[in-house]
Amino acid sequence: MAERVNLKEIERKVYTSYHQDGLIDVSIAFIVLAFGLMMVLDMGWMGWVFAVVSISLYAAAKKTLTVPRIGFVRFATYRVKAMQTLAIGVLSLLMLLGVVAFMQTEEGGTPPWLLFAIENYMLVIGVSVAASFCAVGYTFRIRRVYAYALLTLTMFVTGHFLYYPLHYYLILLGTLILLFGLVMLIRFIRRYPLSTTESTGDSDNEGK
Amino acid sequence: MKENEERDDELPSIPKLDKTIHEPARLMIMAHLFVVESADFLFLQRQTRMTPGNLSAHISKLEDAGYVEITKEFIERKPHTALALTQKGRDAFKQYRRDIKQIAERLPE
Repeated sequence: MAERVNLKEIERKVYTSYHQDGLIDVSIAFIVLAFGLMMVLDMGWMGWVFAVVSISLYAAAKKTLTVPRIGFVRFATYRVKAMQTLAIGVLSLLMLLGVVAFMQTEEGGTPPWLLFAIENYMLVIGVSVAASFCAVGYTFRIRRVYAYALLTLTMFVTGHFLYYPLHYYLILLGTLILLFGLVMLIRFIRRYPLSTTESTGDSDNEGK
Repeated sequence: MKENEERDDELPSIPKLDKTIHEPARLMIMAHLFVVESADFLFLQRQTRMTPGNLSAHISKLEDAGYVEITKEFIERKPHTALALTQKGRDAFKQYRRDIKQIAERLPE
């Protein structure tokens, strides 16, 4: 009986099943690809616009594709709240660093730590993207996102020594994640056909 | 005789299990609802792999016991049944876990 009530396992299973549709992978891939492709066009800032669009599309797709197939669940929000606090902390730190960098540059030349970051920008970006993936993986309890983080780190550390342009790596990373996400999405749609009215539990003979 | 008396003395110390929760199907429903804030009927059905009728019957029993709260609402003009554990249900489930653990600890290896 004790094995049957392994709550951590049930919790993990519930999260995993809700995110087995591959939509989060497709959304992540869309953002990474958008940044890469926009950098080719020398409009890297547009990546942020696509990031916002991608988040909206994710919510809409979840509502249209996932919920009618496997139902709706509202998770406890303590991990989301923890991540929001962390995100605010990181953003505040980045803003502070920006201010310090600006002040030091105004006083006399680029500070050494900023020069170091610019020289090793592939490592800085790689670590930042991998950390973001880890945050997503932790918040939504999706283990495969940690694999994306590892893949990102490997690619960007390799990229640091190969000197190819940054957008090559972003496009390659985005394409790999997109392919994986699409395979998951197709499998999910095949595995869970749209539910009938009876199975939603809203028919007259359901419940009390 | 003396042995029987000793056994009787031990009996009351074994916790009584909540039979509403102890039934395997209801235990699964309670466990799934315990780890989320709320879930709809379809989600529970997919997770527990029960038939709609079976799931419905067990949910009714849990609702009668005051462990589960059923909210029927319309989301974008579609009927939606949300299920959540009540505070009483959460407490009962925690107590059940404590009891079952206690019993398991007392069992011989």
